[in-house]
Amino acid sequence: MSALSPSEAAEFLYREALLLDRGEFDEWIALFTQECLFWMPAWRDDGTQTEDPDRELSLIYYRGRRNLEDRLQRIRSGFSVASAVLPRVSHLISGVLVEEASDERMKLSSAFVVNTHDVRVNRSHAYFGRYEHELVLHDGEWKIAGKVIRLLNDTVPTLLDVYSI
Amino acid sequence: MSKQFALSDLVDDRPDDGVFRINRAMFRDQDLFDLEMKHVFEGGWLFIGLATQAEHPHDFFTGFIGRVPIIVSRNGDGELQCFVNACPHKGVRLVQKKCGNARRHVCPYHGWTFDSSGANKNIKWKKGGCYSEAFDSENHDLAEVARFGEYRGLLFASLNPDVPSLEEYLGEASKLIDLLADKAPDGLELVPGRVTFTYAANWKMQLENCADQYHFTSTHPSYIRILEQRAKEEADEVVKSSIGASDFWTENASGVTGGTMSFDHGHVLNWGVMPPSSAIADFERAEELAEKFGEARRNWMFNMRNLTIFPNMQIAENASSQLRVIRPIAAGLTEMQTWCIAPRGESDEARRFRIRQYEDFFNPTGMATPDDTVCYEEAQLGMAEQERPWLQGHARGMTATVEGGNEYADMIDVKPARSVLSDAQLCDESLFASYYRAWAERMKEVVA
Ligand code: FES
Ligand SMILES: [Fe+2]
Repeated sequence: MSALSPSEAAEFLYREALLLDRGEFDEWIALFTQECLFWMPAWRDDGTQTEDPDRELSLIYYRGRRNLEDRLQRIRSGFSVASAVLPRVSHLISGVLVEEASDERMKLSSAFVVNTHDVRVNRSHAYFGRYEHELVLHDGEWKIAGKVIRLLNDTVPTLLDVYSI
Repeated sequence: MSKQFALSDLVDDRPDDGVFRINRAMFRDQDLFDLEMKHVFEGGWLFIGLATQAEHPHDFFTGFIGRVPIIVSRNGDGELQCFVNACPHKGVRLVQKKCGNARRHVCPYHGWTFDSSGANKNIKWKKGGCYSEAFDSENHDLAEVARFGEYRGLLFASLNPDVPSLEEYLGEASKLIDLLADKAPDGLELVPGRVTFTYAANWKMQLENCADQYHFTSTHPSYIRILEQRAKEEADEVVKSSIGASDFWTENASGVTGGTMSFDHGHVLNWGVMPPSSAIADFERAEELAEKFGEARRNWMFNMRNLTIFPNMQIAENASSQLRVIRPIAAGLTEMQTWCIAPRGESDEARRFRIRQYEDFFNPTGMATPDDTVCYEEAQLGMAEQERPWLQGHARGMTATVEGGNEYADMIDVKPARSVLSDAQLCDESLFASYYRAWAERMKEVVA
C-alpha cells in the first residue's frame, strides 16, 4: 500500500468530519489508533500557543483512545445537561496539504471552520483554526495516530466538546 | 433615569425569623448590573493578578477593574504599580498586549510616551504645541489606581480610595491564602495557558457555584461515573482523580465530611475532608509539609477547599488547583478567566499530573464545567419568573450555622465570622448570605 494521494487524504479528513456532523461517534472513534494523541493546545498570554503539554495547559490533551471513549460515554450518558440537547455541527475543511508522506505514515495540515448551533438556546457560533493530522497505516487501513487542533478563537462560549472542533 | 432599588426588595435578610432570600431581579436587572459595576467592581477591592505575572523590572500585564482597563507594571526599582491603562491625552488604551516587558510605552494614537513607572516621558512636539500654562500645570502621567496591595503574591486594587486597608479587607480569610502559599515554599505561579470562557448568565451564578456543595452529585453524575469506572480499572492512559479517591461528597460518607466558613467583607470557604493521597499532585511534599507545619495544618493543605475572595476571585483546590477571575460583562453575560495555579519547583511528574487532572475537570472543554455553565444559563432563563420572585436556594444549613469557628477552624487558627460543620448531605447554603451582605455594603449608596 502506498501513501494517500492529496485528494484521497482530503477525502479522509472530510469523512472523519462527516462522522462528527452526523453524530456517528463509534465510527468516528474507530478511526483513531489505541495510543492516539488528541490535543488542543491553549494560548499563552504572550500570544503564542502552549507547546509542552506536560508543563503547560492545553484545552484538551489526551494520549490514548480510552480518553475519547470516556468523553463519548459522558456525552451519551443521559446524565450530562450540557450534552442533553446536542448542538448541531457542520465541519468545513479546506486547504488540505500533505506535509509528509511515506508508505506507513502521513502528516496532513488543513484549515477548519466548525459551525455549531446550540439548539438548547438557539445560538450559533463558529469555531475556526487549523488541524494537523498524523495518519498511520494499521492492518492495511489508515488510522489517526495524532490530531492537533489549533483553535484560533479560543474564548469558549459556554462549552466546547470533541464533536464541536 | 434608571430605576431606584430598595434593598429589602432584593435581599430578604431576617436572621431572627430564619429567613434569607434573594430576589431573582438580582440576577437579571441590567440597571442594577450597571450599578454593580460602578459600586461593587469599581468601588472596592478587587483581585487583579499574581506578582509572578510581572516578575522582573519593566515586566507588565494588563487587565480590567470593572470596565476600566488597567496595567500592572514593575518599575525599574522592582516595585509593582498599577495604573489605569488609558492615555491622558485622548483616552486611548495605552497597552494592548496581555503581558510583556517594556521600559517605555508609546501611545499608538499621538505618540505620548510613558515609562514603566507611569511617568510621562514625552509629549510629541510639545514645544511647538502652543499649550497654555494651565495645560502645563496638569499632571500628564498615567493615573495610578487609588489603592493597590499585595498579599503573599496575590495582587489587589481598588479604584475607590475610601476602602479599608487590604489587611482588613482580607481579614481572617487571609489565613486560607496562607494555607495555599505555605504549600508552595518557592512561591505560586500560573501554569502557562490561560483559558477564557463566557456563559450567558449573571456573574453571581459563578460566585455561588464555587461554594455550592449541593450541586455536585446532581450536576456531575456523568463525570462521577467516569471517575468511578477509572478508579476500578486503574488504566494507565487516564488520569487518576483526587475527587474519586475521597468520599466527602458521597451520600453515605459518615461523620464530619467538611463544612463552610464565612468571613467579613464577603469571603467564603467551602471545604471537604480529603486525606493526603497519591491522587493529589502535592503528595510528593506531604511529609515535608507535615514536618514544617505539623500534621493538622498539613492535612488542611490537602483538604478540598473552594475559597472566594469577594467579589471576583476564586481558588478551587479540589480536582486540581484552579484560579478563577470573574469578569461580569452584562446582567446576563459573564466572562471567566481561568488558570491552573501551582507551586513553583514541584517535580515534573507532579506538574504533569496536576495539569491532566485540571484539564479534564475545570476546562470549558472538559467533562465537568460545561454542566455547571449550562445550569447557570438555565437558571438565568428561570430568573425571568416574577410571580414568586424569591429564590429558595439560600436556606440549607440555616440551623447548623454557628457564630465564630469550630475545632477544624482552630487547627489552622482561623476565626471566621460564622461556620458550619457538616456531614455529606448538609451542603450548607447559608454561607451565601456573606456574599449578599458584602454586596449590600458596597451598594449602600444606591441600594438602601
Ligand atoms: S491618545 Fe494617546 S497620545 Fe493621543
Ligand atoms: Fe460543578
